[in-house]
Amino acid sequence: MKIVVCIKQVPATNDAKIDPETKRIIREGLKAILNPFDTYAVEEAVQLRERFGGEVIVLSMGPEKAALSIREAVSVGADRGVLLSDRAFGGSDTWATSYALANAIRKIGDVDLVICGKQAVDGDTAQVGPGIAAHLDWKQATYVMAVEDASDDSIVVKRMHEDGYDICELKLPAVVTVVKDINTPRIPTLRGRLASEKIEVPVWKPADIGADLSKIGLDGSPTRVVRTAPPPPRNTVTKKISGTSAECADALIKELRLRSIL
Amino acid sequence: MRHHIENRIYHVEILPPKQDTEKLHEDLELFTTKYNRVKESGYCACITDNAMGLLAFQGPEVIEELCLKVEPSQVMIHLNTFHTKANLHEILDTCVAQGIKYLLIITGDGSDRLPKLTPADVGATDVQSVTSVELLRYIAKQYPGKFTMGVAFNPYEPQEHEFAKMERKMAAGAEFVVTQPIIEKNAIVDELLRKYPDVPVIIEAWMSKKLYLLSDAVGYEIPEDTEFDPIETLKQIHRDYPDCGVYLSLLGFKTQYHLISDTWVRE
Repeated sequence: MKIVVCIKQVPATNDAKIDPETKRIIREGLKAILNPFDTYAVEEAVQLRERFGGEVIVLSMGPEKAALSIREAVSVGADRGVLLSDRAFGGSDTWATSYALANAIRKIGDVDLVICGKQAVDGDTAQVGPGIAAHLDWKQATYVMAVEDASDDSIVVKRMHEDGYDICELKLPAVVTVVKDINTPRIPTLRGRLASEKIEVPVWKPADIGADLSKIGLDGSPTRVVRTAPPPPRNTVTKKISGTSAECADALIKELRLRSIL
Repeated sequence: MRHHIENRIYHVEILPPKQDTEKLHEDLELFTTKYNRVKESGYCACITDNAMGLLAFQGPEVIEELCLKVEPSQVMIHLNTFHTKANLHEILDTCVAQGIKYLLIITGDGSDRLPKLTPADVGATDVQSVTSVELLRYIAKQYPGKFTMGVAFNPYEPQEHEFAKMERKMAAGAEFVVTQPIIEKNAIVDELLRKYPDVPVIIEAWMSKKLYLLSDAVGYEIPEDTEFDPIETLKQIHRDYPDCGVYLSLLGFKTQYHLISDTWVRE
């Protein structure tokens, strides 16, 4: 099974500032990490390869330093990676991003399955996975919490929704987005980390993936961010409970029940 | 472990490189330097396991990857409950292959990225979550005779609770004890020594001048400007606890290491 995992490098902080002009995150000075949801996508791909054989290719779009996140994915078992990096990709919204990634997936060729994390923690849109499926005209399943089975031409997944879950069979090739219930991502080993430093990460430009310049970057993005604002502060109240341990425990249970938490 | 105390072998804590380091090779070199220095001094290198829940590379894999020599009596690996079962066995198998004998078994600190052993992983049917007790029992059963395992003792926890836990740890196979850092004679540690006269006890000595960093461990706020002399405190610990070993945490390799050889003097 040839699997492409789409990953994104995101700011490591919850305290990111927004540029008031561009309405985009100010990334300068922020430490970057692999999007936490993508670690589950990488782990699932590696587990599928361990079960069924094949290859895991990590694909990302971003600045050149995003190669570090590709190396991180390789350090936990991905075979290789490709980075889409060029000024022309800058400012792409989810539609333009998924267009570029879909083109890269076509160029990689013979891909059976694309796995994405359910969303990136910086944008929180959850649109890129479904966007890739739309551009490729492949089957898709979002919020996947388990891969039940797979064969040469299909995959059976369990997808989570508010009222329970669905079991879906998808003909391959397909795109799935995964939630964190799907697995426990492995921690990189030192050997894996050292090996990942030695791999070459090819950088593809728009021309390499046959991208129409009018469909990427700001020009190719139908979305405009009109206004951004931080969420309103939570109205928290601290209540101190005093007494013996048993009294405190009773009082705490009572408070939690009053608020329907227990 | 009794041999360590009789021969005044310090236990020196060394932190392996963190997973998110941007200067891995430099950190590995520093680890190697510290490890070899401890070994050459005849002391025991104690390597932490994701201390404070911060992801780091595992001691045994670092030792293996860097081809560092292991003298069985000079390496102690911390092992906590925040691992997958497969990862736990990888660590233990690497320890066996490297000839590492001493393990300090602790419940440990978790984080979002760290998995946690489940009761089913370690064959424990009577608990909701795995602590050092279940881990200790599991390793003793799976690797009979391979390791000498110690446990932690926290004199800042409610005494009754901590001693009840210690009973369970001993029943599960603990063979030595390492305390949380103390900076003066401690009545609860004295009680530990009275209760377990035959068990080697290693006192943790806080070697950072920043005493306030101990606030979390002791459970009360230590002011930032508190003056603290780690070397003098270390000497006092030796005077107060002549029959105990000493574990040096946050030891300054540049500023303090050369001073410690003169601190453990029998009077």
